[in-house]
Amino acid sequence: MKEINKIYEHYFDIIDSYFGSIKNYLEDDKYSHIDLGMNIANYPLVSDLILDAIDDLGTEIMQFWPENSKTVLSLVKEQDSLKCVYSGDITPVILEDFVKKSLLYIDTVIIPDPILNLTILQSQIALDKKYYLSKLVRHVFNVWKLKDLALADIEKNALVILPINFNIVNEDDKNKLLLDAYKRFINYANDVFGQKFDNESDSLIFLGKYNDAKKLYSGIKQFNLLPNIFKKFDTFEEFLMHWIDEKRHFQLETKTVGWDFGEYLLSQFIRVQEHKFFCEKVSGEPIYDYDLPYFFFSYEMGGLDMDASIAIALQKEKFKWIANVPLPALKILREENKLEYMRSILRKGITDLKAKRDEDLLRTSEQLEKNLKEAFEEQEEEIASLEREVAVITKKEIPIQTAGSMVGFIPVIGNYISIPFAFRSILDLLNQRKEITQKIEDKKTDFINLLIKSYKEE
Amino acid sequence: MEFNYFNDAMKIYLDYISRQFKKNPGYMPHPLIRALTNAMQGIEAAKDGENVSGISFEGTENNIYEPYMVIVQKKKDGIEIKEILNVKVEKQIPIDVMIMIFRLQIHLDKINGGTVSPQQSVDALNEVIPGNKFYALGDKWKEARDKFAKLLNEGKIHLPPNDPKIEEFKQIDNNTPWENYPNRLRALIGGSTLKYFDKKAKIAITTPKNVRVEKYKVFDIAIEFLLGKISKHFKP
Repeated sequence: MKEINKIYEHYFDIIDSYFGSIKNYLEDDKYSHIDLGMNIANYPLVSDLILDAIDDLGTEIMQFWPENSKTVLSLVKEQDSLKCVYSGDITPVILEDFVKKSLLYIDTVIIPDPILNLTILQSQIALDKKYYLSKLVRHVFNVWKLKDLALADIEKNALVILPINFNIVNEDDKNKLLLDAYKRFINYANDVFGQKFDNESDSLIFLGKYNDAKKLYSGIKQFNLLPNIFKKFDTFEEFLMHWIDEKRHFQLETKTVGWDFGEYLLSQFIRVQEHKFFCEKVSGEPIYDYDLPYFFFSYEMGGLDMDASIAIALQKEKFKWIANVPLPALKILREENKLEYMRSILRKGITDLKAKRDEDLLRTSEQLEKNLKEAFEEQEEEIASLEREVAVITKKEIPIQTAGSMVGFIPVIGNYISIPFAFRSILDLLNQRKEITQKIEDKKTDFINLLIKSYKEE
Repeated sequence: MEFNYFNDAMKIYLDYISRQFKKNPGYMPHPLIRALTNAMQGIEAAKDGENVSGISFEGTENNIYEPYMVIVQKKKDGIEIKEILNVKVEKQIPIDVMIMIFRLQIHLDKINGGTVSPQQSVDALNEVIPGNKFYALGDKWKEARDKFAKLLNEGKIHLPPNDPKIEEFKQIDNNTPWENYPNRLRALIGGSTLKYFDKKAKIAITTPKNVRVEKYKVFDIAIEFLLGKISKHFKP
């Protein structure tokens, strides 16, 4: 077994030792980890027992990573593969779907360890206990569902869990990241609101003066610098109210609408710096499942390159049908070394330059859709053409099969033709039919066909 | 999703114990679990349908605390736990109390050693028994003593006629440290004045602040409060 897999076996053993007693309640459907989180948190008395019993999980995970992170990080970095580092919520809503979409194009999905991140979050803010338990169970089982894939014995690990959190960065790097984030935040806030502040406190104080969403919105000078959902007042206000509501949930103090908006922007620029830092650590690309964090990363980088753009564009709603692909098929795709072929299909017509210009991934996702449709049509046409060939051969075989006679079957290719030669021709035809039938079988069971099936299932 | 309270609570707690064993092979689980383990050991030799019991307790032979008896029955397709009994209060342990006992053990495990301070015992009890029912008198014992004396003078302490505790209290010098008060008197003073210190609390822990309390005695307080003779006075 590979060293990295041994480490992950240990990781999943830890999960099992803490949550094994409730795993029997995890159902088969996609949202079961979310339901389980809510049900366990609302389980009278037992939820309190679980909270007490797992109280030292944080300590255990804090011991696990220092012992293993160096090895895992260097093994992942050395792995010659296309890697993407996830940044979004603790884990994607449905990790399985996220992974399926991503692994169609990239070799390795890297996700932050949800246990570590929730432990750190819990230690920093007075997170409501039941809310914490619900989140913990939800995210732990989101990962647990992909245990087989994470431990699969394949050349390049498909799913990797790493300790990715701003708080574990060493002090020097952390200060540097914070300074960069403050700088970007001040510039952005200055540009958007037409100000000339030179420190983050002044920017926040300025924004803090807006105590009404309408006034804040009317203070915006450059709408073209905003993410799409901020460009209309309705969606801007809706986002703000949700953000403020979330803060209350985390028992964080809310001030004015403007201040909270400023804090949101600042948090996004810190997150971007953190994500950039960890992407560099493993030589990976960024990957998101939400438009907003993607917007800020893209803003920071002046657009993303082709690989990152394709990986992120695949997360768009229009590709939700990819989630119908069975998980083991992704292992087969790798075992048969067809990932490169898949990439070549998806990359058609997309270049680094085009991807960089495409700020909201619209064109990239449209091109991906076009590429996939073309590949599907090509595949279906190939199968149809092979089936036509078989039909022709079968037609030729009919005299033998039905009449059992050689008459009329001997091809007239010369004046002298022997019976053994005719037999050879029949045998050739039969072999040819067998080969083509096999090709059809292969085509029908290959990855593209699985995709076609998933696409049509939608 | 249909939960099984007993199974889930038991499995969660057994998982917790097995993690503690990994960290410390000398870890001693709660007597309820030890009694269950003892019963399980005897089950192998039993025939189908036969009951087997296991017993365990804390303290010493002369001073028994937390005595538990678990009765299990061997069945064709497994083992059924028939009864979990606290022998001291002579009552079966309901699931909610069992969960509170497990939680209390976990909270007390976090404190190193075999003893806790009175305040730590109150914190643990209040953590697992809803409603902040316990109060540690601690440094407020002088206030409590004076308040008690006042109530006594005002005729607001109602005890059976000729109760020796009244006379005993009157005999105690004002400079006597709390540690030298008889237990029963401390309990009387604490109980009579509790409402002036904490309106929600029902039980005053009057153990002097610097005295260490054996952890197993904390379980006794909990069981007495939840299932013992006094429990009927504190039903929610």
